[in-house]
Amino acid sequence: MSMTLRHHPVLGGKAALRLKDVTLEALPEGHVLQLLAAAPEAGPGLRERIGDSDLRPLAPGQWLLIGNAPLTPEDLTGLEERLKPVADIVDQSHGRVRIALSGPAARAVLAKGTAVNLDAAAFPVGHAAQTLIGHIGAHLARTGEDSFELTVLRGFAESLWDDLAQMAAEFA
Amino acid sequence: MASLIACPHCGRRPKEEFTVKGAALARPEPQAGADAWFDHVYLRDNPRGPYQEFWHHTSGCRRWLVVTRDTATHEVEEARDAALWNRETAR
Repeated sequence: MSMTLRHHPVLGGKAALRLKDVTLEALPEGHVLQLLAAAPEAGPGLRERIGDSDLRPLAPGQWLLIGNAPLTPEDLTGLEERLKPVADIVDQSHGRVRIALSGPAARAVLAKGTAVNLDAAAFPVGHAAQTLIGHIGAHLARTGEDSFELTVLRGFAESLWDDLAQMAAEFA
Repeated sequence: MASLIACPHCGRRPKEEFTVKGAALARPEPQAGADAWFDHVYLRDNPRGPYQEFWHHTSGCRRWLVVTRDTATHEVEEARDAALWNRETAR
């Protein structure tokens, strides 16, 4: 008997929540790769070895490589070979889900859940941090002046979505 | 948020993001004997004043830190990466 694996996006059933000052959107489950380097200062050497994916700092010597397109096993092997001298890859695409939060009130919504200073001076575009949103651990990245991306463990994605929706409710 | 810990990697974060393991003590030699090991595993001074503890930034960078704080005022004097601390206090 043959069985086909079907991919079910965990937030696939959620329509984007568009309120007056804030928008909550489930992002495509493309790829989320964790990069681990032996040397924490390997960062600059990584960028030239990766494609169009977004490189976001996670911890000293660790980064998340994130993109909207799913990777084929060949893509992944190629990337592994290019990165080999600098960093190792742990594929987390199956385990992490991304949520986008944007709009003039996005910062105010996040400030209800995290103590990270989200001021543009302390947390500029391109900056990222692993933190707690309420009781849920999430990786927070600023992708624009008024837009953020949250990367969360798959099993917590729906809870985080519901929490964010509630936190955003006053900005309707 | 009550207490902020200045993680050397992440900046100031609330204590809720951390897990406290306990006193930061140098490990005895494996052959140090039962008394030294009993002391290391079970006996603590519980001082009033500066105290060094291992803190894990569980919900942040996931690095172990050594936090020096005052047990009476809860003022945090210093937080450093445990790997650095370990290198400096190495026997």
